[in-house]
Amino acid sequence: MDRENSELTFDQVAKKYPDFPRTILRKIDTALRGVVLTEKALERAKEEGALFSGISNKPALLFGALFRDGTWVLGLETYLQQLPCKAIRKGNPYILDVLDGKLWLLDGLPRPFAQDKNVNQSLDAHGLPTRLSARQVFPRAKGRGEPVEEIHFVPIPKYYCKKTSRGIPMSEVVNARFPSSLAITVLHCRFDQEKNLGDPAKAVTCKFCFYATPLFRRKEENYTPESLEDIYETVKEALKEEGRWTSIHLVGGSDPRGMHQNGAYPGNLPREIVKDTSNFISRDKPYEKEVEEDIKVLKTLQKYFGTEKIPVRAIASAFPREQLLRLKEAGLSAYNSHIEVWDEKLFAWICPGKAKYFGRQYWIDSILSAVEIFGRGNVSTQLVAGAELAEPYGFKTIEEALESNLECADFFARNGAYTTFCILWVGQGSVFYAEKQKLPPLEYYVKLAKGFNEIRKKYKLNVGFQDYRRWSNFLDTDLARIDHA
Amino acid sequence: MFKLPKEVVDLINDPESIKIVATADEKGNPHCAVKDFFTLLEDGNLAFAEEFEGSQTNVNLVRAIWFAKNVELTVRGKDGTTYQIKGKPYKYFYTGPLFEKFYLAAREKWGPDSELAGVWVITPEEVKNETYEVRKKEEDKKHPFFRHLDRSSVRRTKIQNSKSEISN
Ligand code: SF4
Repeated sequence: MDRENSELTFDQVAKKYPDFPRTILRKIDTALRGVVLTEKALERAKEEGALFSGISNKPALLFGALFRDGTWVLGLETYLQQLPCKAIRKGNPYILDVLDGKLWLLDGLPRPFAQDKNVNQSLDAHGLPTRLSARQVFPRAKGRGEPVEEIHFVPIPKYYCKKTSRGIPMSEVVNARFPSSLAITVLHCRFDQEKNLGDPAKAVTCKFCFYATPLFRRKEENYTPESLEDIYETVKEALKEEGRWTSIHLVGGSDPRGMHQNGAYPGNLPREIVKDTSNFISRDKPYEKEVEEDIKVLKTLQKYFGTEKIPVRAIASAFPREQLLRLKEAGLSAYNSHIEVWDEKLFAWICPGKAKYFGRQYWIDSILSAVEIFGRGNVSTQLVAGAELAEPYGFKTIEEALESNLECADFFARNGAYTTFCILWVGQGSVFYAEKQKLPPLEYYVKLAKGFNEIRKKYKLNVGFQDYRRWSNFLDTDLARIDHA
Repeated sequence: MFKLPKEVVDLINDPESIKIVATADEKGNPHCAVKDFFTLLEDGNLAFAEEFEGSQTNVNLVRAIWFAKNVELTVRGKDGTTYQIKGKPYKYFYTGPLFEKFYLAAREKWGPDSELAGVWVITPEEVKNETYEVRKKEEDKKHPFFRHLDRSSVRRTKIQNSKSEISN
């Protein structure tokens, strides 16, 4: 199948794959096309406590929304916390509006909503023409679009309105993700430090990534006893909301700095030295800084839970065996390290930072070591599905891309690690955004989800921390809901 | 929306009545489970708590909501009054006020280590009175020859006689 040729529409894909759940198909489509809220829908979000306006100098944030079956609605990212306000989408966005007192996702042209202030602003974020030019660009549309799915909002966590005892807003200490998870940003990705701004070809950030931009930088270089106390207090407060949380995830980018040649860790050295990554790159203890910070947070959480093993997954860089063992000792239950792109050449091109520190085989070896340490099914990796199709070096056909990704999933599953994939999101701040990369067709993701799910079943792997409600980005793990029994 | 009769509503709201949820798996194999927390919502839908994400009921309900399959709920009161409600899963909540209400009720009943995966909301489409006496009348009328000959309604005199013979 050629990338440009004959992309099937939503209805055609639904007809071709009758065994693929409609809501998951819609989830893919909302990710590709985006969702725009009308003023009425925003008002409803406010009434239902799903809108958070507690962060000064930032617009109100929407916590998120679910389809009837509890599947997370993608495509709302431009309303969500900390994410870039602009993204490259495919075609017209869905409109979220209130009809007969219920929230509906409408599939139609945005023109009938040209007078809606919020729709208008959001169209701009989608790179689509706003009110002034909408009349010329969008053909006349009858009615306000077809209501395709009823959805409901997820309320903002109660702890978001609180502050720690030293006055830090708790929403900034621990970030609630998806309906049921708490995420702690352990460190900021260092790969952007080597970015040669203005020359995307020389950047070492992953090309699809906007997290490495200064927007996501953690204020402090290292956790201090005070900031760890903030975490302790915030988790304690969050868990007062009974029945809300089911897992904690340590997140952040990559920090390849290891131990300095004089034996000190970056946290104990002057800023000028710490800033220069090359001062710390050593194959003996790579990523030591990242491990150190993870351990500080894990020990804080161990203190809170009062148990040795704690319900925490780390989404982290590739660590050598000895560091993985230390994380396990600190209570970590599951480990996830993202390979992002499987094909060797494309990995080097799309993830130059990971390729530099310290190459594809190093990342693969780390994931396999982690299986020995954390156990089968407690280790996973992730692909950014669609990145491998980026131009000019990516796969030219969907079939090649599919084959490569399924080969990755099968390889890791054979070795006890599970591979998930997220839908490529081309957000402002990423190299791909600057390059105006395109999104793959809807059908590609259906084939991937089915293929990954079959592999998971074949090797009898659990979805664990990454199911539909704990880390709701994925599609294959959504499908696993009917295999749990 | 289909409206449940008052008698059924009362039975659902009675904490002492028994509530059973029947679902089917991919191959059509039936599965029944007794449910403790069951309520009628203001909009006419029924809601019940599902304890485990991996239970056969939950898995079957997910399949039912994905592929528009029916489920059946049976409610039986202390006096034997029984109703069967056929419906479709409409929503599944695992956050928000409705879920929180059920979660706290489960905590109160089962203690601090209790688990509750979510709350299923079912839209009723059909209700049938399955109480023994009611069903008997219906069947007798519909299939008058499907009865045993020694039933009192068939051999009324004889049975009365035999009773009097015994008492004599
Ligand atoms: S995706 Fe790559 S660049 Fe982005 S945060 Fe992760 S490691 Fe850093």
